[in-house]
Amino acid sequence: MSGFDEALYWTLVDVANGFLTGTMIGGYYAIISIGLALTFGVMRLVNLAHGDMLIVAAYLASVILGVIPISPFASLIVVAPLMFGLGYLLQRFLLNRVSVQAMEAKGLPPSFGLMSPILVTFGLGIFVAHGLLELFSSDARQIRNSLAFTAIRLSEDLNISLLRLIFFAIAVAILVALQIFLRRTHVGRAIRAASDDVQVAPLMGISTAHVYGVALGISLAVAGTAGVMIGMLRSFQPFDGPQFLLIAFGVVIIGGLGSILGSLVGGILLGITQVLAGTYFGPSAQLVAGYMLILLVLAFRPQGLFAR
Amino acid sequence: MSTSAHNASRPGPSGAAARGNRRSLLTVDRLSAYYGELRALFDVSFTVAGGEVLSIIGANGAGKSTLLKSIVGMMNRGKAAHIEGAIDFRGRRLDRLTTEKIVAAGVTMVPEGRRLFARLSVKDNLLAGAFLPRCRENAAKKLAEIYELFPRLGERREQVVSQMSGGEQQMVAIGRALMSSPDIVLFDELSLGLAPVIVDDVYRNVRRINQSGVTCIVIEQDMRRALDVANHVLIMLEGRVALEGKPADLTEAQVTAAYFGSSFSKAHA
Repeated sequence: MSGFDEALYWTLVDVANGFLTGTMIGGYYAIISIGLALTFGVMRLVNLAHGDMLIVAAYLASVILGVIPISPFASLIVVAPLMFGLGYLLQRFLLNRVSVQAMEAKGLPPSFGLMSPILVTFGLGIFVAHGLLELFSSDARQIRNSLAFTAIRLSEDLNISLLRLIFFAIAVAILVALQIFLRRTHVGRAIRAASDDVQVAPLMGISTAHVYGVALGISLAVAGTAGVMIGMLRSFQPFDGPQFLLIAFGVVIIGGLGSILGSLVGGILLGITQVLAGTYFGPSAQLVAGYMLILLVLAFRPQGLFAR
Repeated sequence: MSTSAHNASRPGPSGAAARGNRRSLLTVDRLSAYYGELRALFDVSFTVAGGEVLSIIGANGAGKSTLLKSIVGMMNRGKAAHIEGAIDFRGRRLDRLTTEKIVAAGVTMVPEGRRLFARLSVKDNLLAGAFLPRCRENAAKKLAEIYELFPRLGERREQVVSQMSGGEQQMVAIGRALMSSPDIVLFDELSLGLAPVIVDDVYRNVRRINQSGVTCIVIEQDMRRALDVANHVLIMLEGRVALEGKPADLTEAQVTAAYFGSSFSKAHA
């Protein structure tokens, strides 16, 4: 092989790896972000505790697996419903009390209703992180699994991680399931109706308090899934939430505020950008390139690529 | 149109209401409504007989929309808006219920400006109207009935409603309300922003809906149209009922005086 051919070959390998690994990472990013996109789309909720909820789920799974040694994926059978219940209760008994409608009923200006949920979830995130610190100390934990170092060889110089491939498949499955739920079921249709016109939805017999509860429940159930994935991929500590919140924000901005399909596309674009930047400019460029992408989208298409 | 069992036992338009013996289905008793400190309704009382069409007319700001919103629970908003007085429907006090409970009881509204779910298709807007547990099982059958009433909607069922004309959107809004198999439908400003030809069509449909056994309360700016469609008329002025009666029993002078207030009729006498 001549020098030129070899350089071309390695360039192609790098690019192919960037797209493949980036896409796989995108699936993982999508699972982290779908919940945030959903609640923003449905009730304009900016859930600043979203990242901390991922970590709660990771600890939950790690506790369950400490007691019953099953596959981490099987732990989702318990973790996802528990997180759904947590989300439903949080919305019904905390966040519905500080919504725009609740603030108006208290005689306060509607702007309070836009601000309060942000403050409440910010406080909730801090409370949750400190609660985890009390319960579990600051030692890093991990969810042990047999797949962490398994790779699939595509060619001599090209591999993908089996774990990431599974995460990508789960992301697609969650997306398809959510779309079917939102389009084909009465509750799903009610969620979309309430997101279009929250004042008129009750005229259909829809309880918006309940529908919002279901929306945050689903959001946290997906976040719970993401938390377990995070634990399988790397170690986590009580204060790790905000870095994942930041990823979720980036993905939601790129994909389009409130768009669920946008989270997958946004996640993939962010993943590819990070992997390629890391390959060519070193590890420190990964984060910078990611933020550059977010800034570019904000500058040229602030509504995101898949705005609803 | 009507499928539920209790609908069948209800007196039709040719029944009690037409004979003048008005059997009350909905009774509003000394209803007052407030937006914060501002009072919008002053002790409004009236009854609606089963099977009739009641028209409510009045100038802008007379309290017509507030009255309808009060009936469907949309004025129960704490310090932002509240009501006093009693609203009775088949022996149930609606004034203490939330909107979704009132709709479940059988009273619904086609809101002013249609207020469709803009990003949903025609079909999904209609199906959203069948959210109540008692409607879900029959949703497909009900949907077929709506397509029969409005064939145009059947043709365009997959279309997103924000791309439709005003008249078509009004059909979706009416159909959506009918999906919950209501006993009473309140229509708020049906003709707002629609061409006269379309409005004729809309009122033909209100009549058909009424003939199928649904009691209708209609708010209409156009007085002639309001008197034309109604078995009973309520004229409102500054948050009060100024005049009430059967259209045939009211003279034009009476209606005008009630509509504009006595100061106006004196000045133009």
